[in-house]
Amino acid sequence: MNLEKENKFAKQINETFHSAVVKVQRERRIIVELRSDLIPPFLSFAKEYLSFIHMAHYSCVDWLEENKFELVFMLWSYEEDVMLIVKTKIDREKPEFVTIKHLWPQAETYEREIHEMYGVDFKGNDRLGEFILEDWDDLPPMRRDFDTVKYAGEHYFTRPGREDAQDVRETIARHSGEEIPDFAKKYSIRRDEE
Amino acid sequence: MINDKYANKIVDIIQNFARKSSLWVVAYGTGCGAIEIPPTMTSRYDAERFGIRGSATPRQADVLLITGYLSTKTLKRVIRTYEQMQDPKYVIGFGSCTINGGMYWDSYNTIKALDQYLPVDVFINGCMPRPEAVISGFIKLQELIKEGKANGAQKYKENLEWYRENQRKVIKNWKMPDYNW
Ligand code: SF4
Repeated sequence: MNLEKENKFAKQINETFHSAVVKVQRERRIIVELRSDLIPPFLSFAKEYLSFIHMAHYSCVDWLEENKFELVFMLWSYEEDVMLIVKTKIDREKPEFVTIKHLWPQAETYEREIHEMYGVDFKGNDRLGEFILEDWDDLPPMRRDFDTVKYAGEHYFTRPGREDAQDVRETIARHSGEEIPDFAKKYSIRRDEE
Repeated sequence: MINDKYANKIVDIIQNFARKSSLWVVAYGTGCGAIEIPPTMTSRYDAERFGIRGSATPRQADVLLITGYLSTKTLKRVIRTYEQMQDPKYVIGFGSCTINGGMYWDSYNTIKALDQYLPVDVFINGCMPRPEAVISGFIKLQELIKEGKANGAQKYKENLEWYRENQRKVIKNWKMPDYNW
């Protein structure tokens, strides 16, 4: 594995941002973890000086146990063919961050989605209204403490399933006179034979 | 003077024959199942053999084909589409999502049983049903029409209160027009 260009980037990042934890994961993958207040300068540094001009993805991870949200940015450099993954953790109780739409206009849409699905408030983004969901008045649904099974059970009519919970393979085999192979039999135990 | 009863019967037979032989389907694709409609309509399976065609607007259509899961947002549009359609009108529920939720049974944003909100004449099961299954569902609908049993629209009108109540349960911000049919 030739990690020359990746290590070069890692060195450049460490020289400018001393607190950044840089890890070269493999060829074409660099992961940077950073304090959240350093993210806007870091992203513009990556864009202007390190040639990561393309923001490929922007998402959020819920670390319920740590009481943190993690924002993940994926940047791509066309010149060096390297992906830079930037991660930062923000407070989960009062999730706030600044918009980065001045760097990449498409970030606005990602921010709207993160706002709707996790409830993160992006300062400076004025389009954080209703996005995909309509008239949603519960917890943001992608948070891990939102119980989707419970919500669906309470709000939507549930049609009960078949009582016998029987594997249909036997029924089909009986009709068509087909042999069920031995290894498959243990998956299709009929209730009345148990 | 012909006996009224027989005259009505003959009219019914002709009417049902005409209805069953020309089913225009609203081009409204929801969920993943809509991807099976192009092969059904084009040369390989050629649904037009059975008089099934696409129509551009709900007001000219006979069949509303619900091709999969419905989010509550889409359900609102589907109800409006259905209510704009002229009689005679039929609904086909397509895929397991319309029957019991399918693989979206635990989703926070999709309804699980379509017939709670709209009167369904025929269900086609499968995830997703192949064009053969779609065509067999349509043929089943044609049989029902021929026998005069596809009366979902009638059911909807008679039990409008019940349907409205269910619809209002999932559509929170109710801004729907009232129709006086
Ligand atoms: S039944 Fe299957 S194919 Fe159809 S909408 Fe549901 S998940 Fe998609």
